[in-house]
Amino acid sequence: MNKSVSGRVPWLLSAAAAALAAAALRRWQLSSAFEPSGLAAPGAQASVILVCVLFMTSAWFILLAMYQPLTKRPMTLGQAHRWDLVFLDAGDPVYPALAVLAAFLALTAVPVLLPVGLAQWQHYRELLAALKQGLDVQLPSNNGMLTIATGVGALLSALGLLQMGRDGLRPGKRGRGGFSAALPGVAGCVWLMESFRAHAANPVRWDYAPQLLAIVCGMMFYMDFAGMSAGAARPRRLLWLAGMTAVLSALSMVTAASELSALSAAGLSVRSTQLGDLLLLLSQTLAAAGVLWRLPPNLENPPKPPNTSGPHPDRI
Amino acid sequence: MENQESNVNQTPEDSAAPGQPSPQTGAQARKDSSAGRELYQNVRVLVTMMALFVLLFTFVARVIVVSGPSMQNTLFGGDLVLVWSLGYTPKQGDVVVLTQESYQEDSIVKRVIATEGQQVDIDYDTNTVYVDGEAIAEDYIKERMRLPGWGEGVNHVVVPEDCIFVMGDNRNNSADSRLPQIGIVDNRCVIGRGVMVIFPFPHWRGL
Repeated sequence: MNKSVSGRVPWLLSAAAAALAAAALRRWQLSSAFEPSGLAAPGAQASVILVCVLFMTSAWFILLAMYQPLTKRPMTLGQAHRWDLVFLDAGDPVYPALAVLAAFLALTAVPVLLPVGLAQWQHYRELLAALKQGLDVQLPSNNGMLTIATGVGALLSALGLLQMGRDGLRPGKRGRGGFSAALPGVAGCVWLMESFRAHAANPVRWDYAPQLLAIVCGMMFYMDFAGMSAGAARPRRLLWLAGMTAVLSALSMVTAASELSALSAAGLSVRSTQLGDLLLLLSQTLAAAGVLWRLPPNLENPPKPPNTSGPHPDRI
Repeated sequence: MENQESNVNQTPEDSAAPGQPSPQTGAQARKDSSAGRELYQNVRVLVTMMALFVLLFTFVARVIVVSGPSMQNTLFGGDLVLVWSLGYTPKQGDVVVLTQESYQEDSIVKRVIATEGQQVDIDYDTNTVYVDGEAIAEDYIKERMRLPGWGEGVNHVVVPEDCIFVMGDNRNNSADSRLPQIGIVDNRCVIGRGVMVIFPFPHWRGL
C-alpha cells in the first residue's frame, strides 16, 4: 500500500470505530437512561459518556483534518479542476459503488415517505371538511405536506447521488460533483424541517437532537462536496463533516430502528417516517463513507485527468 | 486549518511567483467567479441559515402557535409566542409551554402556579388559589372560577420535587393540573418559558 492510499486508513478506521461506539452507547442509553415515562434520567452514565465520545470524536476528526496532507491546486489541467478530480475513480470501484448504493437507499425511501405523507394529507383534509360542517374535531398540527416534500427530496437526492457515482467513472469533464452533490444538500433542508416538526412538542431532546445534528452535518457535507467543483473548496472541513455525518447518522439509526421495533411490537405498520429516516440516514452514511474512501488519498496525490498534458501538482 | 484551506482557494494569479507569467489563463481564472460559483454560494448560505434556524429552535428558543382558549385573556388562539428553552427552570407565575403525553402529544401553554415543595389549595367558593396558605393575586384570570365539570380533581396538593402545578388563565375552559390526566407536571416536560407574543402585532407584548 503506497503512502497516498494509506491516507484514508485513519479516517475510515476512526469513523467506523466512532460510529460503532456511538451506536453501542445509544443502545445502552436507550436501555438504561430513560424512565418508564420516556423522560431522560438526569445525569445517566450512558448519556454522559455518549456526549463525551461525540466531543472527543469531533476533536479527533479536527486533528485528522488539520494534518491531512493537501496538494496545491493545479494550474494547467485543461478543462478539469483539481478539486473536481479528487473524486475521479481511476479504476477504483468502491466510491461509485457506495454512491450508487446510497442513491438506491434514498430511492427506497421515496415509496415509504410519499404514501405516508399522502395519507396524512388525506386525513387532514377529511378533518378540515368535518370542521367546516361544524363538527367538533381538532385539526392535527401535521398536514403531511412536509412528509411528501421529504419524499420528493429523497428522489432528488437519489438522482444527485447517482450522478455523483457516474461522474466518478467519466473522467475529463468539468463540474464533477457540483450540481449533483448540492441536490441532496438542498433536499436535506426539507428533511430537517420535517424531522423538527415531528418532534417539536417532544420535551426529550435525546429523542431527536442527534438526528437533527446528523441531518445538518449531512447537508453541510453535501454542500462542501458541491463546493469542491464550484471554486469554493474546503477539503479539510469536508472530511470533518463526512466523518461526523457517519458517526451521528449511526447514532440516529439506532434511535430510528428502536422506534421501528416499537411500532412493530405494537402491531402498527413499519412503513412510516421512521423507516424513511432510517433509509435516508443510511444513505448519507454511505455517501460520507465514499468521500472518506476517495478524498484523503486523492487530496494528497490527485489523479491526472486523461487527455491533458499539464504538470503534476506540487505538494504543500 | 482555515489559513491552510484559504491556500487551496487562492487564484492562480495569487500563487504565481513575482515576474512570472500566470500559469492559468484569464478565462480559466474567471471560471471561479462564474455564475455557477455565485449560485453555489447563495444556495450554501440558504442551507446554512436553515440549519442554524433549526438548531436555534431546538436548543435555544422556539416559536409556537397558541391553539385553544385556555390562556385567555393573556393569549389567544393563533398568537405566535416566542419560547425560551436554554437553561430555563420553571418559576411561579411564568407562562410555560409543556408536553404531558398522558393527556396529549401536542404541547400546551399554561401558567405556573406553584413549584416544588409548595402546597396548592383551590377554593372555588371564594374564587381563591392558596399557595403555602397565602392567597395569590391573580389579576390575569379571565373570569371567576367555577367547579370544573370533572369535579374537584387535584385541588389540594403539595408539589413534589422537580415538579410544577400549572393552570390556564381561563380557569373555566382549561385542562390543566387540576385534571387528573395532566396532574402535577415534571419539570422535564417543560419545553420553555413564553417570553413574548410576536404576532399578531396588536397582541405584541412581553409575558
